[in-house]
Amino acid sequence: MKIKLKEIINDYIRFPAYIMVHPFDGYEEFKRYKKAKLTVAIIFIILFAYFQIFSYTNLGFLVNNNNPLELNSLEEIFGVVLLVFLFTVGNWSITTLMEGKGTYKEILMVTGYALFPLLIIGFPSVVLSNFFTLEEMAFYNLLMYIAYFLSGWMLFMGILNIHEYGLFKTILTFLASFVSIAVMIFVGLLFFDLIQQFIAFVVSIIEEINLRY
Amino acid sequence: MKKILMIMLGLFILPFLIGATNYNYSYWGTAIHSAPGLNYIASINSETLEVNLSSPEDLVVHDNKIYLVDKNENSLIIINDSFQKIKALTEFSYSQIYLDILAEDGIIDETSLTLKGPYGVDVTDNGIFISDTGNYRIVKLNHSYEVVNVFSEIDESTFDELLFEPRKITVDPTDRMYVVAKNIYEGILEINSDGTFNRYTGVNPIKLTPFEIFSRSLMTEEQIAQLQLFLPTEYTNVNINEENFIYATSKVSENNDENPIQLINPKGVDVIERDGFFPPMGDIQYVEGMNNYVVDGPSSIVDIAYTNDGIYTVLDQKRSRLFTYDREGNLLYIDGDAGSQSDKFSEGVAIDYLGDDLLVLDRKTKTIIVYGLTEFGTYVNQAIHFHNEGQFEEAAVVWEKVIQINSNYEIAYNGIGKLLLRQEKYKEAMEYFKLGHDQYYYSKAFQEYRNNIIKSNFGYILGGIILISGVLIGRKIKKVHKEGGSILYED
Repeated sequence: MKIKLKEIINDYIRFPAYIMVHPFDGYEEFKRYKKAKLTVAIIFIILFAYFQIFSYTNLGFLVNNNNPLELNSLEEIFGVVLLVFLFTVGNWSITTLMEGKGTYKEILMVTGYALFPLLIIGFPSVVLSNFFTLEEMAFYNLLMYIAYFLSGWMLFMGILNIHEYGLFKTILTFLASFVSIAVMIFVGLLFFDLIQQFIAFVVSIIEEINLRY
Repeated sequence: MKKILMIMLGLFILPFLIGATNYNYSYWGTAIHSAPGLNYIASINSETLEVNLSSPEDLVVHDNKIYLVDKNENSLIIINDSFQKIKALTEFSYSQIYLDILAEDGIIDETSLTLKGPYGVDVTDNGIFISDTGNYRIVKLNHSYEVVNVFSEIDESTFDELLFEPRKITVDPTDRMYVVAKNIYEGILEINSDGTFNRYTGVNPIKLTPFEIFSRSLMTEEQIAQLQLFLPTEYTNVNINEENFIYATSKVSENNDENPIQLINPKGVDVIERDGFFPPMGDIQYVEGMNNYVVDGPSSIVDIAYTNDGIYTVLDQKRSRLFTYDREGNLLYIDGDAGSQSDKFSEGVAIDYLGDDLLVLDRKTKTIIVYGLTEFGTYVNQAIHFHNEGQFEEAAVVWEKVIQINSNYEIAYNGIGKLLLRQEKYKEAMEYFKLGHDQYYYSKAFQEYRNNIIKSNFGYILGGIILISGVLIGRKIKKVHKEGGSILYED
């Protein structure tokens, strides 16, 4: 039991924290010695979706500008899943063309692990925001900035390491990933629009036939 | 039988009762139910006044008299506060003073003048000022309706090419005239009491989107010259208050709908307070884009009237609504309804306060509709009065009554919260500020509340800190001791 608990702490806190402060060594172990686990990454993504919902409702009154009547949990979850899906697919489709060494699984794991600082700093700071006055909210903002910065840092270093890229190539692939995300969104919208029109066309034909015969 | 009749009658009347739904905007910008602040009292039309009205354009109240100008009848109509006609004038004879002025210029055969398409009127203790648009002049009358002076030549270079067409006018106690003229984009004309041009005051700022700024920076001068001109929007009306600040309303420009209502100080700067949840701009939610079935676009504010305690009402011509704001810019109540029934108006052109009653002039139905404060409106105005005077206790009592009528009213919760904050009931104050969405005062109440908790539990907190640190140090000592070391010196 104790060993199991230790293992969980190691998987979910120690190792991600180690990656955060030692990105090169950490991602070396991550990739070469297969210390990272897909379940951990997926649980981090799930937790991040929960964090979005949690902060929507539990953020302190002084910084919470969300209308509680407009909370839609499914929408928040969908948003996170879509974001992860778009980034991983976008990055994978670019890096396979640009001789990246990382697999899709590794990109997904890096994305999941990169959410670690957001979770470990985000949850406490959302709780803390309930105990701050308006002037002290700067601390909350600072904490959240740090969290976002560290998440970005982990993601960047992760992509750099698993594909075995240099600095400029990583920046280039990031930019290219965003372009591919934009393309995917465009194609998706186009597809939905066409399908919608096609369905409307079929429905109107059926209606017409029904009315005539 | 009687019962059935009653039910039938009820069913017949019910739609009329619930026809007009009063609303206000919540903190979230959604329309929520609210109580009416102003209600229909009376309507005055040409039959009740026994005058011809064909296109009334402006209305002003001075000294309990209502002054009205009609564009097509070219007349000035004066009505008393029991809504009886005092006088209807179309021809104004010259006073001795003006005859003397004319005689100096060598004109002796004229003795009177008539108006042509007047658009605006303003009355002060010194006289009556009519913007005689069709004759390109401003006519000043004394209180026995004789012409004292006529201002037609404005020595400003703009008017070398352009005709001076004054629309709306407001006059300060020293007879300085503030005029909104047609096709003038520079601002409000300030004309001295002797008719000389002084300056333009108050300018509507133009807002460009970042993309427009960027694309303009790439263009050559010839290309820019070919572009559509970005003109500041025109003012629609002016109304000077007791402190000589000008309440001005303007059209909204395409990409800036947030300052149709301004309060221009003597320096020419807009100083209106926009501390409400939304800037004073009429309707906050509206349909955008082209649509033939609904009224779209932001409110078109055409007139503004003020009453005591800095409360002012604006008239939205587009949707026939009256928006009342307080000094801080909180939207107090929204009233008015579009329609041709006698309690509704379809093309409002001017409003003014007669005591506590609001007069709305409708051009289309040629009617003056009198709105009076409801119980709700009276309480709100009273509470704001007490609040301005610093009598928070009295204000809170009135706010309680307001909440009984309309529990959606967020300003009332803040009013009560402010009293509770003064009474050092921080926890209750926090609750009220939360309901009223006032983050600033909530923060203040919360700070005090938190300090009180820390103060009263200081012993426990300090004890806890000492205990925890003691346990931690103890464990460290134990651990070091177990390993055979000592904490007193390092190996």
